[in-house]
Amino acid sequence: MKKMLGMVLTLVLLAGLIAGCSNSASSTTEKGKDSDVLKVWSFTDELKEPIKTFEEKNGVKVELTIIPIADYPTKLKPVLESGVGAPDVFTGEIAFLKQWINRDYWENLSADPYNVDEWSDDYVPYVFDLGKDNEGNVKALSWQTTPGGIFYRRSIAKEVLGTDDPAEVGSMMSSWEKMYEVGDKLKAEGYRLFPDEGSVRWFSKSEDPQPWVNENDELIMTQAKLDYFDQAKELREKDYTAFAPEWSPSWFASMNGPVAYNGGWEEVDEKASGDKTEVFSYALPTWGLHSVLKPNAEETAGDWAVTTGPAPYFWGGTWLGVYSGSKNKDLAFEFVKMMTHDEEFLTDWAKETGDVLSYLPVTNKIKDDFSEEFLGGQNNYTFFLEEAKKIEPGIVTEYDQQIDTLLGSKVSEYVEGKLTKEEAVQEFYKAVKNAYPNIKTP
Amino acid sequence: MKRLDHKGYYFIAPFFVIFLVFNIYPVLLTFYYTFTHYEGYGKPEFIGLANYARILTDSYFLEAFVNTWKIWGLNFALQLGIALFLAALFSDLRFRIKGLGFFRAVFYLPNLITISSVAILFSIMLDWQYGSINQFLMKIGLIAEPINWLNSPFASQASVSLILTWMWFGYTFIVLMAGVSGISKEYYEAALIDGANRIQTFFYITLPLLKPIMLYVLITSLIGGLQLFDLPMLLTDGLGSPDGALNTMVLYLYNQAFRYNNYGYAATIAYMLFLITVVFSAITFKSMYREAKGEKAAAKEEKRKIKAAKKRGNTNAQGKKVA
Repeated sequence: MKKMLGMVLTLVLLAGLIAGCSNSASSTTEKGKDSDVLKVWSFTDELKEPIKTFEEKNGVKVELTIIPIADYPTKLKPVLESGVGAPDVFTGEIAFLKQWINRDYWENLSADPYNVDEWSDDYVPYVFDLGKDNEGNVKALSWQTTPGGIFYRRSIAKEVLGTDDPAEVGSMMSSWEKMYEVGDKLKAEGYRLFPDEGSVRWFSKSEDPQPWVNENDELIMTQAKLDYFDQAKELREKDYTAFAPEWSPSWFASMNGPVAYNGGWEEVDEKASGDKTEVFSYALPTWGLHSVLKPNAEETAGDWAVTTGPAPYFWGGTWLGVYSGSKNKDLAFEFVKMMTHDEEFLTDWAKETGDVLSYLPVTNKIKDDFSEEFLGGQNNYTFFLEEAKKIEPGIVTEYDQQIDTLLGSKVSEYVEGKLTKEEAVQEFYKAVKNAYPNIKTP
Repeated sequence: MKRLDHKGYYFIAPFFVIFLVFNIYPVLLTFYYTFTHYEGYGKPEFIGLANYARILTDSYFLEAFVNTWKIWGLNFALQLGIALFLAALFSDLRFRIKGLGFFRAVFYLPNLITISSVAILFSIMLDWQYGSINQFLMKIGLIAEPINWLNSPFASQASVSLILTWMWFGYTFIVLMAGVSGISKEYYEAALIDGANRIQTFFYITLPLLKPIMLYVLITSLIGGLQLFDLPMLLTDGLGSPDGALNTMVLYLYNQAFRYNNYGYAATIAYMLFLITVVFSAITFKSMYREAKGEKAAAKEEKRKIKAAKKRGNTNAQGKKVA
């Protein structure tokens, strides 16, 4: 025992030593830094390649700090507040974009010497508008647009609906009633319309586009949002879903082929493999194709297409801007400019990654050449650009992500029969009030 | 008279400087925040006792308080039960179980895994449709349908309790064994000779003499248990799902601070938590101490009896303190 204890202690000491070393190593690089180094903070590794290009072009060094999204706002906030160790450029996800834009963290890009207002016609309108603060000054720009659609399986569409043409399937799903009719047909053939009830939240949100909270700090509960409770319940009761909630193992598995319906354990038990089903469609945005479907749907690759649902919507998106306290604003702006307003770079970027850009001079030039193999040759680029035009930018508030989450959890408690609709709605108001005491609930 | 040398103070100064900067200052600052509305941006706004007024009527905090006690209570009862049973087993002279060191290490192993890894491990194992626990239970025919563990309030709280028990019974066992090894072997030998059975030995020798150690285990576990956070945070959505059953006090604090940016209110929760911990530790300590006092009185009584017995010619006065 003594020996073991000794070993453990040695290990602990060693670990401490290693940790200590790595700390001191990073602090020396920090000391060696001078104003030629551009510091960029983000929550994904997306910017790695662009940074290489930028370094080569300008002969400077860029230091990218990646912080997982769960910790990103918590880590960034104190740095921006104090200005100590702050980045020159930082990105913001749609979830915290509005919070930061209305504070003076990002440099006002509408002012001299940037004057980005001149660029306004170059962008998908909603993307450019979301980067503006309450006074209409542009604080952040984005290179991408992230409208959503419904990705569906071509083979199932052909079998059940008689066609796999995106336009025709889209018109069959253009309203709630029609979409549920499709769900009924699918169910008759043993398929499920959506993986779970949460899939339809985007349509209820953008059916009647209103912000969650208005300028008087009042919660706006639209009829469409109240209807969402019933629509979700209907999905469950009519058995149009496969019990595969977003980001769960069964959700990913369902993209790749048949999944056991209501219990994956049957896979182990070969005798009871009769209860399998396949999911017909997923409500996902542009990035869902590359980061969700492609890696998880290898077996079904090529059997997909994308079309419109009952209402246009968008999901996510990354903006970036110059930190207002940066000592290196010119270089920082150069980087923002390359990411969002550089024809040559953006053309390469779009062709390489398939990311749907918000910069129209490039998209107009390249959009017709896209043919996505994963989607059976469909041009998803033109599809999403058309969808992007329909989006209402005014509905985004800084509370959206949290209020959406609270609504989602109350809706699922109602769907599962733990609460009545009236109780669920009241509980939702109570939860919102608890999270944001300043908001007045109905 | 020699003058005192001040040099010693320089050597202990680093500790106090660090303690001041990293402990005292944040604690006092947090106390200040309890009187403010602070969103983490700009300057805190002074609002007097509004946060305290809010917390006293906050049903979510009450829910969190009850949940925390439920989860900790079940966990502690199981953990202490298992550890006591094992301690009794290993201290038994008649069994003479070999390899105490080995078992001690094995029982302690779960405690070496970081709690976030444990949480992720169990969230996979407890998965409704693909989790190995359901698959196993189905396979052996114990249940007919998979149980959605993390969707039922009771099952999810019990799951957290059981995971905590699994992680901590080894630690409690080690501490109790240390206490057991401090009990003189003579008592057990005497009991053996007097023909006491195992249950009597346990209840009349081991348990009373372990009381101080158990008090230590109880208080440290209570303080740790009231701060329960990681497992509920990582097992479900971090909001306390299902139905707020996993909403513990520290999770609530975390969400108020970092999800909803109510730093002032979160600071108030922290101080309430501190208050609760102090009050309950004090109650535990007091009640255990009183019992110990009562025990002393009983022991005195016993001594008198033994003396009386001696006079009668019985020289076996070993059980001095055995009550």
